Amino acid sequence: MLAGLAAAAPFLLGLLSLAPNRLLSPRPAGLPLTTPVLLSIAVFLLAGLGLALAACRARSLRLAELLAVAMMLALLASAGMAAEALLRDASASARAMPAAGFWMSVLLVCLAGGAAAAGRGAAPSLFWAASLLGGSALLLGGGLESLSLLKEAAARGPEIRAALAQHLALSGGAFLLALLVAGPAALLALRHPRAEAVLMGVANAVQVVPSIALFGLLMAPLGALVAFFPVLRTWGIGGIGPAPAVLGIAAYLLLPLASSFLAGLRLAPPALLEAAAGQGMTDRQILRAVRLPMGAGVMLGGLRLAAVQAVGLATLAALIGGGGLGALIFQGIGQLAADLILLGVLPVVALSLAADALLAGAQTALGARA
Amino acid sequence: MIRFEAVSRRFGQGRPAVDRVTLEVPAGQIGVLLGESGSGKSTLLRMANRLVEPDAGRVLVAGRDIAGQPVEELRRGIGYVIQSVGLFPHWTVARNIATVPRLLGWEASRIAARVDALLRLVNLPPEEFRDRLPAELSGGQAQRIGLARALAADPPLLLMDEPFSALDPGTRRDLQAELRRIHAETGKTILFVTHDVEEALVLADRLAVLDHGRLLAEGVPRDLLADGAGPEIRRLFGESGLALHRLATRAAAALATPGDAASLPALPEGATQKDALLLMLEQGARAVAVAPDALLRWDDLVRAR
Repeated sequence: MLAGLAAAAPFLLGLLSLAPNRLLSPRPAGLPLTTPVLLSIAVFLLAGLGLALAACRARSLRLAELLAVAMMLALLASAGMAAEALLRDASASARAMPAAGFWMSVLLVCLAGGAAAAGRGAAPSLFWAASLLGGSALLLGGGLESLSLLKEAAARGPEIRAALAQHLALSGGAFLLALLVAGPAALLALRHPRAEAVLMGVANAVQVVPSIALFGLLMAPLGALVAFFPVLRTWGIGGIGPAPAVLGIAAYLLLPLASSFLAGLRLAPPALLEAAAGQGMTDRQILRAVRLPMGAGVMLGGLRLAAVQAVGLATLAALIGGGGLGALIFQGIGQLAADLILLGVLPVVALSLAADALLAGAQTALGARA
Repeated sequence: MIRFEAVSRRFGQGRPAVDRVTLEVPAGQIGVLLGESGSGKSTLLRMANRLVEPDAGRVLVAGRDIAGQPVEELRRGIGYVIQSVGLFPHWTVARNIATVPRLLGWEASRIAARVDALLRLVNLPPEEFRDRLPAELSGGQAQRIGLARALAADPPLLLMDEPFSALDPGTRRDLQAELRRIHAETGKTILFVTHDVEEALVLADRLAVLDHGRLLAEGVPRDLLADGAGPEIRRLFGESGLALHRLATRAAAALATPGDAASLPALPEGATQKDALLLMLEQGARAVAVAPDALLRWDDLVRAR
């Protein structure tokens, strides 16, 4: 069913659309019937048919998942080759971009691949890994470079790389800063109930302020600070720019970090802590040998959440001149250039998925060891 | 070995949890603190390794006031076993037992040898249990490991806070016998807290009865349960069961008379008069053998008061 819809979508809704240049709205374009495109579409349809048949029997679900991969790759290749053929007789500034049918089909193939994996009770890791690998191969092999997204990317290569580096610095810096504050603060709160009240009060209060407003709130005091100590400006600190962005993001990360650290530190039951103390462990030894290992899972969960939040929030840094991938996105929105927006959004999504996967891996490894 | 001198401790307002208790357990003996919940027995025990500090009075271990000693050093020199066992769930059995030796900085080979020796002492085969995690142990096994851990650095004094209370009755009796055996083998001084009257009588060389923070009575169990026992003691041990408990504090051999006992049901060595009574009831016999040439008669047993 999903396979059938996925196979039909490009024909009903159009595979590609063509625009005279990167800013004007695209119009639907007919499929150029060159041999490679036809071959690739045939593979796409055959894989779809196979997928529909394989999905009917539980035993061939693994095959179905692989056929979904084939469908995905054939779809990508068709789009790439069709775009190349379309642009051959168009003006140099013309852009060929995937149309609704393409996107719909990508979505449906993903669903079909996921359903095939879920049908045998597994995570669709095979589907994702194979699709990503194949997709990257197509990309690097130049099979997709006629698509407008890649044209845009090629035109803005250095800009994107700089934005990506900035984005990593913003989110990474804020993450480290929040870690440096939340760690000791959680330890302090563990000993002193009043410190806990203050810490959680502040962290919760920050969380309630909308992020843009917080960045704005930070502008005034930081601006005043620089006016007072001009030397700070030479270090790159000011009312706008990366400094308030990093501070603001770090403030948001405080709640997930501090609360998960505290919860993790408190995970060891009181009787166990007493047994540890009764055997002559010092507070520091109890922390290292009992509290930290027992709470590590919960604490890593907090780190994971905070890392993903950091990547997402860093997008907003662009609004106060902090740079990062958000700059591309807002520029794209300003110009109504969908490709540019996507070029900003896709790396953000990839970054947060990567951060999440990395820490999830650490969490699993920890769980397996414990 | 351990001596409490007029120690008191009050938590917040109200009655003191421990009220001017003076008590001594001589070296090599098992001293049992018996009392109901809220009697202050655990608080008193925890003063011995400074998990609780007394408001007044002092505690001496091996003749030295512990108030001036570095607290971690003091605790590493005292074995500690608690009811919930308190094994670290993320460490193997061997690593758990090695806790104090590692804190003391022993060499790895010495620790490994000690862990195996202790596992054998508590009747758990080392090769089978060494690498298990606490989650893979039964309650009785876990408490054996808890005992092994407390003995790891060979401390002269052991504190045991209701260690067997959460176990099944059968397992509890096994472990009581084990503790008696290990005590005989190692000669440790043990301070043992329980609310279980029978457990107290099985284990105690010296028995201290606490009630509402005050020491009601202290001495060898036989004397405590003699005829003159006060009303609180009678209530704690149970008015109707007192006679039976009293029999449990006396050796069967004390009432034995010479005679040919070869055909009678035989008592194990060191049995109490309660054991003798139960054996008679069980076997329907009017006399049991204490030794091949000594027997204990029903008439002597019920006449002895």
